Amino acid sequence: MGSTVVMDDPAVQVEKLTLIYESNNQRVEALHNVDLTVDKGSFVSLIGPSGCGKSTLLRVLGDLLTPTSGQVLINRKTPREERLERRIGFVFQEPALLEWRSILANVMLPLELRGTPREERETRAHELMKIVGLTGFENAYPRQLSGGMRQRAAIARALSTRPDILLMDEPFGALDQITRDRLNMELLQIHEVTGITVVLVTHSIREAVLLSDRIMVMSPRPGRISRIITNDTPRPRTLESRNSEAFDALVREGNRELEKGCADG
Amino acid sequence: MADTVTPQNSRSTAKRVMDNVGPPLVVLTVMLIVWEAACRWLDIAVYILPAPSDVFSAFAKHGGTLLYHTGITSMEAVSGFVIGSALGAILGTMFAYSRFLARGFLPFIIAANTIPVVAIAPIIIIWFGHGITSKIAVTAFLSFFPLALNMMKGLQSYDRVVMDVFYIAGASPMQRFFKMRLPNALPYVFVGLKLNVTFSVIGAIVAEFVQADRGLGFVIMTAYRSMGMPRLWAAMLLSALLGIVFFLIIALLERIFVPWHASMDERE
Repeated sequence: MGSTVVMDDPAVQVEKLTLIYESNNQRVEALHNVDLTVDKGSFVSLIGPSGCGKSTLLRVLGDLLTPTSGQVLINRKTPREERLERRIGFVFQEPALLEWRSILANVMLPLELRGTPREERETRAHELMKIVGLTGFENAYPRQLSGGMRQRAAIARALSTRPDILLMDEPFGALDQITRDRLNMELLQIHEVTGITVVLVTHSIREAVLLSDRIMVMSPRPGRISRIITNDTPRPRTLESRNSEAFDALVREGNRELEKGCADG
Repeated sequence: MADTVTPQNSRSTAKRVMDNVGPPLVVLTVMLIVWEAACRWLDIAVYILPAPSDVFSAFAKHGGTLLYHTGITSMEAVSGFVIGSALGAILGTMFAYSRFLARGFLPFIIAANTIPVVAIAPIIIIWFGHGITSKIAVTAFLSFFPLALNMMKGLQSYDRVVMDVFYIAGASPMQRFFKMRLPNALPYVFVGLKLNVTFSVIGAIVAEFVQADRGLGFVIMTAYRSMGMPRLWAAMLLSALLGIVFFLIIALLERIFVPWHASMDERE
């Protein structure tokens, strides 16, 4: 990946980002002077122990939180501008589907809210259902589907407006290992086919290494990026990529860094 | 977690209906037979306990007038239910959106809700006169609180993550209300409506007790004064029937509008 990317046109540019909030009359520095650059079309993971601010950072990128100081640009625009232009896709840990809507209607929701004509949004939704492997479940209701399938629908929904960037907050955390592996592969394929930039928050170093071009290891108190690990393993990757010597080395490196972060804290 | 759940139950609809309706029908038949037999053999006085046949002949004799009075009470109950529910829905929505209004008004509303309807009915009748309007007003007063409280609770019970999804999608406040908070509140709304519809029949009849020249409450009072017990029993059964029919209508509407809710699943 790295060598072909045009470095002066990043998808995400974060400079000196600090976010402080008050909790029980105590100042908590959730993020301290964070710098982050994500190249267009690349796959970046944020990993670290709880309280390191990885979700906070992701929510700042998605305009769900406003930083105390520092600059955040997504495709040269502020997160708010990007969000209001519907150029941000966000996948949460829970699928958060509307129970009263069919899967197809759930996938179409962002297009409906934007005012896309019915025919167009249906075409797009059917296309997405195919991409995430939910064809045949258009008329099912969320509670009729398994956890993995619900999360697939949530991913399709996040992709519906053709966003520039896909932000994912531990999207597979609640799934069993087999489902998780399968969804990892599907996510790799979506990334491959659409060329979308992905920023993924995860607890699993193995998942991060498997999927990412770069892994941002974060540490807590105050939240910051303590190390960047680059994974140059060629794409397309498969689950077998995990059996290589290089993969193990990267996982070891990540674990070492994570342990150090914990010891410091 | 299992893969997809098949929605269709293999049991046939006819069998399910029989399972639900069969047992109560058997119990009802046995009860009527025992009741009739007891009245005849034990020679119970009609004013203590009229036999089913006495009640039935009261229906036959006064059928037309009973139907007329049932119609009056239904009209009062339905009008009061509609007005009370509409006011309750509006107020509940305001409370859900304004903490100040909710905190300011709720203590008084809850206090007002504890007033027995028989205590407030005479006051309302003085205000609204001796016609049907005052009966509707009493009914509306009674079928107002449940929906106001449930509407508020329902509109506040949305999932925070779903709210984030709407935020990311750039939804307007109107879209958030109509596409998320309101549909999400519907199960609560129907809890409120079911309470309201039951209270509305009670409200109408209680108001007629206090003062009326027509309606089932009026029939019950006049029958009581003249010891026309079979007629009183007939009116009582009609008012129960009224409540059941109204309740079933709301339950049917719930099936149509909230088919997605978990409580609508087949009970095993």
